[in-house]
Amino acid sequence: MAEILLAVERLKKFFTQKRGFPNPETVTVRALDEISFTVNRGEAFGLVGESGCGKSTAGRCVLRLIEPDSGGVTYAGEDVLEAGKERLRLLRRKMQIVFQDPYASLNPRRMIGKALAEPMQVHGLGDSAEIDARVEALLAEVGLPPDARWRFPHEFSGGQRQRIGIARALTVSPELVVADEPVSALDVSIQSQILLLLRGLQDKHGLSYIFISHDLGVVRWFCQSIAVMYLGRIVETGPVPAIFDDPLHPYTRMLRESSPVPDPEVRVAPARIAGEVPSAVNPPAGCHFHTRCPHVMDKCRQAYPEWRMVGQGRGVACHLHGA
Amino acid sequence: MTTAVKAGAASTSDTPGPILRVESLTTSFRSGGAWHPAVRDVSFDLARHETLALVGESGCGKSMTALSIMGLVPKPAGRIAGGHIWFEGEDLTQLDDEAMRRIRGDRISMIFQEPMTSLNPVLTVGFQVAEALFYHRGMSGREADRMALDLLEQVKIPSARRRFADYPHQFSGGMRQRVMIAIALACRPQVLLADEPTTALDVTIQAEVLALLAELKTAYGMSMVFITHNLGVVAAIADRVAVMYAGEIVEIATVRELFRRPTHPYTELLMRSIPRVDRNIAELETIQGQVPSISAMPPGCRFAPRCPLREPRCEAAPPPLAGRSGHHVRCVVRAGA
Amino acid sequence: MSRGAAIAAPRRGFVHALRELRRAFNTNITSWIGLGVFLAIVLFAVLAPVIAPFDPYEQHIIDRLKGPDATYWFGTDAFGRDILSRLLHGARYSLVIGSVATVSAMIIGSAIGIVSGYVGGRVDLAVMQVMDVLMSFPSLIMGLMIVAVLGPSMGNLIFAIALTAIAPFARIARAPTIVIKQRDFIEACRALGFSDLRIMVVHILPNVMAEILVLGTLWLATSIRVEASLSFIGLGLKPPIPSWGGMVREGFEVILDSAWLSIFPSLAILLIIFALNMLGDGLRDAVDPKLRGGE
Repeated sequence: MAEILLAVERLKKFFTQKRGFPNPETVTVRALDEISFTVNRGEAFGLVGESGCGKSTAGRCVLRLIEPDSGGVTYAGEDVLEAGKERLRLLRRKMQIVFQDPYASLNPRRMIGKALAEPMQVHGLGDSAEIDARVEALLAEVGLPPDARWRFPHEFSGGQRQRIGIARALTVSPELVVADEPVSALDVSIQSQILLLLRGLQDKHGLSYIFISHDLGVVRWFCQSIAVMYLGRIVETGPVPAIFDDPLHPYTRMLRESSPVPDPEVRVAPARIAGEVPSAVNPPAGCHFHTRCPHVMDKCRQAYPEWRMVGQGRGVACHLHGA
Repeated sequence: MTTAVKAGAASTSDTPGPILRVESLTTSFRSGGAWHPAVRDVSFDLARHETLALVGESGCGKSMTALSIMGLVPKPAGRIAGGHIWFEGEDLTQLDDEAMRRIRGDRISMIFQEPMTSLNPVLTVGFQVAEALFYHRGMSGREADRMALDLLEQVKIPSARRRFADYPHQFSGGMRQRVMIAIALACRPQVLLADEPTTALDVTIQAEVLALLAELKTAYGMSMVFITHNLGVVAAIADRVAVMYAGEIVEIATVRELFRRPTHPYTELLMRSIPRVDRNIAELETIQGQVPSISAMPPGCRFAPRCPLREPRCEAAPPPLAGRSGHHVRCVVRAGA
Repeated sequence: MSRGAAIAAPRRGFVHALRELRRAFNTNITSWIGLGVFLAIVLFAVLAPVIAPFDPYEQHIIDRLKGPDATYWFGTDAFGRDILSRLLHGARYSLVIGSVATVSAMIIGSAIGIVSGYVGGRVDLAVMQVMDVLMSFPSLIMGLMIVAVLGPSMGNLIFAIALTAIAPFARIARAPTIVIKQRDFIEACRALGFSDLRIMVVHILPNVMAEILVLGTLWLATSIRVEASLSFIGLGLKPPIPSWGGMVREGFEVILDSAWLSIFPSLAILLIIFALNMLGDGLRDAVDPKLRGGE
């Protein structure tokens, strides 16, 4: 069936910080606590969760922009974490990233044309005439006027900058793009333009995405399958329509029900107010979600639930769906 | 404007008519030596106990409308260039700074998007809530503290008593926004202006804060102007909605009416360009191009350059906001339909 | 345009930084005055052999210690040498020593600062400790020690002054580097497989250039001052070379009778330092407030 492009296996990354003066305390942030997932070729895979759940860290560990502590990342059969300098350079042509903040993601002092030509020069993808033509084609592809190449980032709006960021990722003709909240900073009307652009590229070039987002609506429209993260762990995965129609994990359900729907007949069900939300610094014992879970049971407080596959490519970690 | 109620007769609660009436408000900004209206000819009524949502994209003038009401338009770059803001029989645009200061935070309060920067990091949360009570109500320290604690409990800060003396950085974003709400409510304002209060929050927290705001609005008998870019949030909280585009209200209606029959092409396209969590959408609409810059507004309808229904007459003159039974639209093509 | 873009890139960033400085500059009249005075001094120095009325070494024994008059505008010294001519030629030494020292410090210091800030961690910690030690010596004392050990020569003078200036440049380059390396566009560069060297030179350097240039202007003034001070205490250029600090010192011995000997070189030192500081302060005001986010 579908070819697995990327396999992530028990990926782990803890950050330690020293806080406080004069008696510093060492704090461990459990950003990624052994997460596993796979991305099929040509698929948009959504990583969903709220701030601090580790979804961005996951995206960066896959690209080795952050070195994970342990675990495995396999790209098209090749071990990414073991790759040496040269292999990594080649792998980076296959895997690219698009960022959330279109203002921080471009070098303010670099003309667009140069910013787009540079990756091709570094990787030796063609002579200067070829690169020149390719820059022009890329600008057209992401919907920017040809004269954009002579301009600087500050001359563009947020949506246009995001297009430039996408064009830059495309310069090396990648197969997998990690899109880290690519539309969160954009206005609604611009958001749909960018989503359509990304979808178009997926269809045209067979791109695969790891689409990181907190917006369930966007993920539902854009992704074919998703993983829901909570405090450094994946709590549920599965194909898109199924997860949204019948969320199994109470957290997925809470996310879905809290997401505002543009329809006054469907009033959002307010989530229960259960005190301070725990963070990845001190995740609660047992199931991390038990402090906010409406179905909490005794065993939820004691043991983290086993991961269980429940058919049609769906998996969940919840005692409600245990044996 | 014709029947401005005498200030003396206006008791706090039950005079008829809207509590806030904005009339042809124009707020301009200076750029490149000329004044450009960031808010142009904006009029709306805010009924008692009503929540009116101002919705639009960045730069549409929704925040500037709220700042105009609060008398907080940044000077000297900006100024209210025309119109009236009637509040309890007084025209706020005519009040001097001192009089505005007495109203601000007392009878009209505002909460902002970023609860991190809106709180002073070196003062305790309890003190910051109590401060409004010293300042506007002249309460003693002990009284103000008791009242502040009460407020923190009302905004559902868990173990409020224990956390009274904590500093803002010890709170999460959602909890900080609750503190901001407590400060805003301290003097039992009649009108609360909420500028994107949930935008920086996670969705589960957003749902909590929206529920809290709705509950407190009823409990306090307040009216609320809720500013947001998120139509889902609008649907969840508003009674009426004004859609803004490029400094103008392009459509205003009750929330049900607006979502059932979005009439302005901008409103309609906007609604069809949002991916939804509750259903599969095959086609996502999009609005081509981008909002014109403040110094280069089209002479006619400001949405015309991006509008699929554009006709020559759209570009001739600015269309009026017209309609009946409370559903008004600024579109000559759709107004007749 | 794309031809040779890789080579052209840093220059481009440099030009951009200059342009930005000029824009900010336009609002500030004192910077213009500073720049004008400084350029005038540079011009005089360059043209010294042409415009100087006399040879700076030529001794007019009959006219020794003459006050300013129509022949010797600024008077003569104890050997009957024309002070104006010596001042004009002395400007050349001051400027050359000051600018060579400053530019070398600028290059070395910025490189240290950028690498240290970019690499971070223990390396950064160690490098900055060393820089802190260097900074804790007043530049004059430091220069004094080095010249005292190595002996007074033009090369050693430049070396001593440059050494004291490395730490400030390292610091000024490091701070914005740390901010910039966390921006997404640097991460994008890494994701695109660019080498660290390329990221530092092509992407970070242009973004910290403005700050470095501002400090460069201010430090040029300091370098000239230190050079003058060292010459004044006899550790600078050897007589009979006309150096401003040395001239002040020569005049110092006869200051009660022939004040012009020290007054004119002192004024010259004052003027150039004042001009450079006005220039640098104006530039700093222009650059500082907008440690820009999106520009």
